[in-house]
Amino acid sequence: MVNWSVQLQDLGCIYGPNDHASADETGPLFGTNVSETYDSVVACWDVNLHASPGEALGVIGESGSGKSTVMRCIAGDQKPTKGDLRLVSVEGGQRNIFEMDDSARRALRIDQLAVVYQDPSEGLDLKISAGGNIAERLTAAGWRNFKDIRDRATELLHRTEVPLNRMDDPVQTFSGGMRQRVQLAKALANKPPVLILDEPTTGLDASVAAGVLDLIRGLLDETGIAAVVVSHDFNVVEMLTRRCMVMHHGRTVEVGLTDQLLEDPQHPYSQKLVAAARG
Amino acid sequence: MDTPLLRICDLRKSFTLHAVDGRLIEGLNGVDLDIYEGEHVALAGTSGAGKSTLLRCIYRTYLSDSGSIEFNVGMGYELTALTDDQIADLREHEIGYVSQFLRAEPRRGVKDIVIKSALKEGIDEAVADEMAAAILTELNIDESLWGTYPTLLSGGEKQRVNLAAGIVVAPTLLLLDEPVSALDPRNREAVLQVIQRLVEGNTTVLSVFHDLDAMFRLADRVAVLSNGKVIDQGHPDVVINRSLETVAP
Repeated sequence: MVNWSVQLQDLGCIYGPNDHASADETGPLFGTNVSETYDSVVACWDVNLHASPGEALGVIGESGSGKSTVMRCIAGDQKPTKGDLRLVSVEGGQRNIFEMDDSARRALRIDQLAVVYQDPSEGLDLKISAGGNIAERLTAAGWRNFKDIRDRATELLHRTEVPLNRMDDPVQTFSGGMRQRVQLAKALANKPPVLILDEPTTGLDASVAAGVLDLIRGLLDETGIAAVVVSHDFNVVEMLTRRCMVMHHGRTVEVGLTDQLLEDPQHPYSQKLVAAARG
Repeated sequence: MDTPLLRICDLRKSFTLHAVDGRLIEGLNGVDLDIYEGEHVALAGTSGAGKSTLLRCIYRTYLSDSGSIEFNVGMGYELTALTDDQIADLREHEIGYVSQFLRAEPRRGVKDIVIKSALKEGIDEAVADEMAAAILTELNIDESLWGTYPTLLSGGEKQRVNLAAGIVVAPTLLLLDEPVSALDPRNREAVLQVIQRLVEGNTTVLSVFHDLDAMFRLADRVAVLSNGKVIDQGHPDVVINRSLETVAP
């Protein structure tokens, strides 16, 4: 019996000459993810993860640890070198999504797998209105009735606490926190079962970040969406996730319950990371 | 005699400090302890004896090195062999852990925190609301505070909100780490009575109290820890005479 919404197995992604042997000379043991012999970067290798409905899984690590590559591979922004990705909502989890053709893969982004990027300009068209951004996602899913679209957009913006009197203003006139809320509203438009959050609050000031986090936590509880949260910020991970994995030089060095990872980290790198974050 | 609810066998835990040349800190050195259903067992011992470490190993906030923790002995689970997902499920429904520190979402009101905790157990929304109000009242949290965010509360209020969220639906096994440490006499009394009520309702409690009066009043049995091992256990009155040195040096 499958109890995950999303499952990733054996993900590997190499930038540069694609030789699997380059993985043998990279990773935490070698202190690098650069393969000199093959002139390539092993951004991530042998990465496994899963998330259940309503669960948020955290992926933490410093810049260059490979966490963003993992996120981009799941999202479909980056082609992996190897791996197997399944969504239970796509052919009952029988299909390896990495093997789908590009157009089928892109179609998943409409209603199966949504992404909230650190930079709102990646997920939104800043020149058009908040309502227009959401309408774009809805029409892609086949919505045609103007009033229905308008009602749904209103509902989403209300839920994500965007002032409704700003609905028709271009997103570029919004503050950072509001842009992130619009991005969230757009991501949720077609009720995707899986949501990927890439540093969702990085760059926001503390009080705004707390508001966005609280909103995300509430939405996950309500909707049963499975989320993968990529962040270097322990506060984000602690607040949103139940389980967590630590990445270092492209590998997973530790997986555990989030409180265990914070209170009793096992791997030397996790200990260093927690000590740095906690002072 | 009945089979225990929780059976801990030869549980060991050490901490490797990689930043300090891999120095090893001993936590638990082979703890053996049985806890029966509906029983309140208090852990005693000096600071550093391993009391909190034991609670955290049971809850898997700490990963134990070896030994076993059997829950629902005979028909249940060996906790150290479960996956993180399975432990997370047990935490939601069977095993509660309440420490003196509240870790809550920043923008959620006091009552909402407690309601949310009840909803997780599948309680109906209207009922959850009533239950939250009842437990907050029982713990002397003034109704005027129910809508405020926990960041605005005093230490003692946070501690009681935390307890309220942890026990609004009583878990099968409740791990209590210093539940009355920051409380004034009136609120301490309220908390002790709530704990007493839970045990009478058949919740099994494993606790750590710095407050010896509270411990002797509430515990059915005291287990004395020293250097990460249980060195004595029995009725509080018996243990206090026998192991006084260790319990209250």
